[in-house]
Amino acid sequence: MKIYLALTVVSMKMYFRNRQALFWALFFPLLVMLIFGMMNFNGYNAPSVGVHDEAKSEASRNLIKALQGDEEEVLKVSIGTPEEILHDLEFGESRAAIIIPKNYGVPGELAVLQVTYDERYTQERAVISTVLKQVTDGLFKEYAAVPDEYLVENSINVNESLIQGQGQGFKGWLIPGIAAMAIMQTGLFTVVFSLVRFKSQGVLRRLKATPIGAAHFLAGQLTTKAIVVVIQTYVLIIVGAVALGVSVNTGRLGAWFDLTILALLGGALFIAMGLAISGWAKSEETAAPMANVISMPMMFLSGVFFPLSVMPEWLTRWSQYLPLTYLADGMRAITVEGATVTTLGNELIGLTVWIIVVFAIATKTFRWE
Amino acid sequence: MPALYSRLEDLLSKHPEAGQVNNTLIDPVIIANDIRKKYEDIDAVNGISFQVRRGEIFGMLGPNGAGKTTTVEILEGMRNADSGEAVIDGINVKKDPTAVKSIIGVQLQQNAFFDNLKLSEIVGMYAQLYETKVDPIEVLSRVGLEGRKNSKYAQLSGGQKQRLSIAVALVNDPVILFLDEPTTGLDPQARRQVWALVKKIRDDGATIVLTTHYMEEAEELCDRIAVIESGKIIAIDTPNALIDQLLATGFKPEKRLREATLDDVFLNLTGRDLRD
Repeated sequence: MKIYLALTVVSMKMYFRNRQALFWALFFPLLVMLIFGMMNFNGYNAPSVGVHDEAKSEASRNLIKALQGDEEEVLKVSIGTPEEILHDLEFGESRAAIIIPKNYGVPGELAVLQVTYDERYTQERAVISTVLKQVTDGLFKEYAAVPDEYLVENSINVNESLIQGQGQGFKGWLIPGIAAMAIMQTGLFTVVFSLVRFKSQGVLRRLKATPIGAAHFLAGQLTTKAIVVVIQTYVLIIVGAVALGVSVNTGRLGAWFDLTILALLGGALFIAMGLAISGWAKSEETAAPMANVISMPMMFLSGVFFPLSVMPEWLTRWSQYLPLTYLADGMRAITVEGATVTTLGNELIGLTVWIIVVFAIATKTFRWE
Repeated sequence: MPALYSRLEDLLSKHPEAGQVNNTLIDPVIIANDIRKKYEDIDAVNGISFQVRRGEIFGMLGPNGAGKTTTVEILEGMRNADSGEAVIDGINVKKDPTAVKSIIGVQLQQNAFFDNLKLSEIVGMYAQLYETKVDPIEVLSRVGLEGRKNSKYAQLSGGQKQRLSIAVALVNDPVILFLDEPTTGLDPQARRQVWALVKKIRDDGATIVLTTHYMEEAEELCDRIAVIESGKIIAIDTPNALIDQLLATGFKPEKRLREATLDDVFLNLTGRDLRD
C-alpha cells in the first residue's frame, strides 16, 4: 500500500509537470466549452440589413431605431452607401438592402422605401418584410397621431425587388477560412517543431561550425515553409471548391496572384510567430503548448468555422484585430466577395502591422543554441 | 634547404619530443597562446597555451567541465575568447573565423543530422555549406558507409552514426580535424573501427585534435596529449613520456595488470571485426 501511494504521488508529479498533457486535458476542453457556450446558435438570430438613409431626418432616424428594436434586437442594421449595401447583399454579408428616400417623413408625400432581397434567402426575406410592414405602419400612426380604431391609408410604401446573390453560402464562406487557418498551422507548428528540435539536438550548433553557417540554413528552412504555405492554399481552395461543389471567384487569373500575396503575408506572419516561440522555448515540451495556446483561441475567435456574428459583441470587438481574422477576412474577400488585393484595406494594414510586431519580437527572442 | 627540411621532418617523426623546445614547435599548425574565457564568474579557460604539430594526433584529456570543449570551440572559431590568441594554419581565428572554418573539419559531441535525408544527401548538403562539390559516395566510402548511402540517419547504429559525423567533417578535405569524444558510448568493436579510421585520416595528411575520457584511446591514438584541469594545462607530452615521468617518481600501480584485459576477452568472444 505504501509503495502504491508513493508511486502514485510520483506519477502525479510527472503528469502535472507535463504541460502538453495539461493543455489537452484542461485548457483545450475549457476553451472549446467557453467559446461554443458564448455563441448564439439557437433562438432568433437577427438578420443583417444594410440601410442607406437619404432623408437624414428625425423621422428616418426613428425608422432605423425601430428596425433595430428596443430591448431585443430585431434586425442587425449597418449604414452605408447604396453601392456598399448592395455589394454586401450580393455577396451574402446581409440579407436586405434598404434605401430610405429623401421625402421620408415629409407630410403629405408618399415615401417609397426601396428594398432589395437576395432571392435565395426566402425565410429571412419574409422576416424582414414583415418587420418593415409593422414598423412603418406603427410609425405612421404614431407620427400622424391617428387613433388606433381609424383605418388610414398608409403614406409609406415599400417597393420590393429581388437579386440573385453571388455568395456561395456557408461552404464558400468556409473554404477560404480553413485555408487561412492552415497557413497559421503550417507557419506556427512546422517552424516551432523543426527549429526547437534542431536547437535541442545541436544541429544549428553543428552548422555554425561551417563557413556558410546556420543563417543560410535557416533562410532555406523558412523559404521552404513559405512555398509550402502557397501550395497548400492553392490545393485547399481548388480541392475544397471541387469537392464541396462551390464555385469560388478564382476564374479571374489575377485572383490567384492576389491569393498568393495574401498567403505569403500570412505565411511570413505565422512563420515569424513560430520563430519567436522557438526562440523563447528551450524544448518541445514548452514550445508546443505555447503554440497551441496562441493558435487555438484564434481558430475559434477569428471566424474560421462560423461567422463572428454568432459571437457576443464584447468578444468580436477584440477578435477583429487578431492576425488570423485579418488573414481569413482577406482570403474570403478575394475568393468569394470579388475583391482584389488592391481593394483590401484593413486586412493588408492589419497583417502588415502584425508582421512588423512579431518579427521584432522574434529577433529579440531568437537564440541559436 | 628542402633537403634539410625533409631530413628534419624525418628526424622529428622518429623523435617527436626533439622538435619541442619549451612547447614551441617547428611549423606548428595550431598555436594557442594564453587563451582565457569566463562564463559569468567561472574561469572556463584560464590561460591555455599549446602548439600542435602538423600531421600529429593531439589529445586533450580532462574531466567533464575542465574546459576542453570551450578551448576547442575557440580554436574552431565558434566562440570568442576573452583574451589570448589562436592561430590555425597561419590564420588568426579572431580575425577571420570564416577562413578557419573552411579549412577545418568538426565533429561535435552531440551530433544530430536530419532524419528525413539519406546519408548521401546529408553529405551533399554539408558540402554545399563549404561551397565545394564532392562525390558523396566517395566521402561515405572513406568511413565505410558507402553501402548505406540510401539509409536515413535514424537507421544507423551508434558506431555508424559516429562514422557519418566524421564523414561529414571530411567533406572539405580539412587541414585539421577536431573530434570531440569520438568514441563515447560505442561498443569495443565500433570504437576500434573509429580508431582505425582516425589513424587512416592522419596518414592521409590531416592533423587531428581529439578530446576523450578514455585513457586507452589516448594511449592508442595520440602522439601527444595535454591534460586539462580547471581551465589550465597541467601536463603536456607524449603518452610514453608522461608514463615514464610518473614511474620516475617511484609510482607503483596498486594491482599489477595482467597481460590481457577484459576488453580483450570481450573482443575475443564476440569477434574483433565489426559486423556492420
